[in-house]
Amino acid sequence: AAEPWPENAALYQQLKDEQILLSDNASSLAVQAFLQMCNLPIRVVCRANAEYMSPSGKVPFIHVGNQVVSELGPIVQFVKAKGHSLSDGLDEVQKAEMKAYMELVNNMLLTAELYLQWCDDVTVEEITHPRYGSPYPWPLNRILSYQKQWEVRRKMKAIGWAGKTLPQVLEDVDQCCQALSQRLGTQPYFFNKQPTELDALVFGHLFTILTTQLITDELSEKVKNYSNLTAFCRRIEQQYFESHDRDSSAAAAARAAKRSLLR
Amino acid sequence: MAAPMELSCWGGDWGLPSLHPESLTVMAYAKFSGAPLTVNTISNSWRAPKGDVPVLISEDIVISQPAKILNFLRKQKYNADYELSAKQGADTLAYIALLEEKLLPALLHTFWVDAENYCSVTKPWLASRIAFPLSLYLPGKMSREALNRILLTRGGPPLYSFTEVEARIYRDAKECLNLLSKRLGTSQFFFGDTPTTLDAFVFGFLAPIYKVCFPRLHLQEHLRQLPNLCRFCDDILTCYFRLTVSGHSPAGHDTADANLQKLTQLVNKESNLIEKMDDNLRKSPQHPPRKLTTLKLAAGGEGSSPLNRLSP
Repeated sequence: AAEPWPENAALYQQLKDEQILLSDNASSLAVQAFLQMCNLPIRVVCRANAEYMSPSGKVPFIHVGNQVVSELGPIVQFVKAKGHSLSDGLDEVQKAEMKAYMELVNNMLLTAELYLQWCDDVTVEEITHPRYGSPYPWPLNRILSYQKQWEVRRKMKAIGWAGKTLPQVLEDVDQCCQALSQRLGTQPYFFNKQPTELDALVFGHLFTILTTQLITDELSEKVKNYSNLTAFCRRIEQQYFESHDRDSSAAAAARAAKRSLLR
Repeated sequence: MAAPMELSCWGGDWGLPSLHPESLTVMAYAKFSGAPLTVNTISNSWRAPKGDVPVLISEDIVISQPAKILNFLRKQKYNADYELSAKQGADTLAYIALLEEKLLPALLHTFWVDAENYCSVTKPWLASRIAFPLSLYLPGKMSREALNRILLTRGGPPLYSFTEVEARIYRDAKECLNLLSKRLGTSQFFFGDTPTTLDAFVFGFLAPIYKVCFPRLHLQEHLRQLPNLCRFCDDILTCYFRLTVSGHSPAGHDTADANLQKLTQLVNKESNLIEKMDDNLRKSPQHPPRKLTTLKLAAGGEGSSPLNRLSP
């Protein structure tokens, strides 16, 4: 028997206006969209040390009852164990496709966002370093952001992205968006009538890319080239984020994401 | 289009033209699209430590990663994806991402990190094929890189011990194999009757797991329980990779004679291995060595069933 979803379930992320970065905002929005699609109420709590509170070191994480689960994959499984699932109606081949496309988004879009934030020197100097350590006093803010940068660059080197230049990364983003656009076609959601976790994940990333102001607009231009993707984002935003109370935290999160994240 | 193209990659064994997944992918794609590719196996050259294997050299252009090599071949009008729809092209990218995220860590682990496999199979094989001072250094370097990659991409908290990481990557790999098997179903290739880029990538990743004889075999055992994937690998090997690796060999269907010859070679190799195992186990020279006499060729020259039965 599934336990009921408690009223005080909370989602933790970093501070919206000053601290959170592109990739973390995308992941957080994806989880919020997924929970909205499942009709599970959640309130967003912003904490400067959210990354350290998380069991896996990644944001966002949700605190439900007495359990803490982080990242979209485990959260989807956790919600499924509670009896809510968006992908039950899919057959085996469609489920395989869904998983493959989620890996594509993680592999290309998320990695590209991380690259842009931590490996592109201009962006690092002007946006990432000031934002990442902003709640902390000097010199802690510089130390933490250098530490994180070193970690991310090490990972990029291990998977072979360190040798890529920014135009090549943007080219990869374009390829990924093209694949998503071709898969979506003219349907409302990726698997026709019902949204699934793939829709939530794609929405989270694309919406964040479209509404975040960076040094240049190249990244969002790549997404804007595909009109069905922008229409998709608009549709999900209208259906799941604006149709709730004005005070609901999810709508506030979407509105806050619209404001410029440039300090 | 007439410029000669040369591919440098690691050599092969156990019936495969190469043991390196990326090299296999490129070779398979070249066979599918009919590109005339001369394959050089790297043996005694110092080019290997640059880490860029496989490398395609055409006139003066040097290209190194498989995705870029495939793009180059497509631009030269050797396109195996000609008949795919836009959605199928998108599916190809998605499944390749799935392979790289879920299957590649386990593949790297089986080849380079698992102590028994590495010491008894991978290291001697690689060291025997490269020049002397390099053979002391390169296998260790590749092993450390593989371990690094696994730990950085998969090993964060809440997994704190390496055995937990191993358990997770093998679980992911088995799930990935199941998903591929469901997607393939009963068709011969992933998108109908002609092989495409996705088939090349899947073949490149699966064939080493399927064919190489490791002491620690759990991924291979799982793969053998998915008969459609095994049949997929065998089909590509028998149809597109015939006896020799270097030189031009047009893609096409074999005659029964060529099939029989290749099968006989493989069966003899397997029977030698089993003989050796028998000798070690029984330690009695009077015991007559067991010979495998059954060589049933199914109709049409398909030889996959005896090969399956011969797995140690």
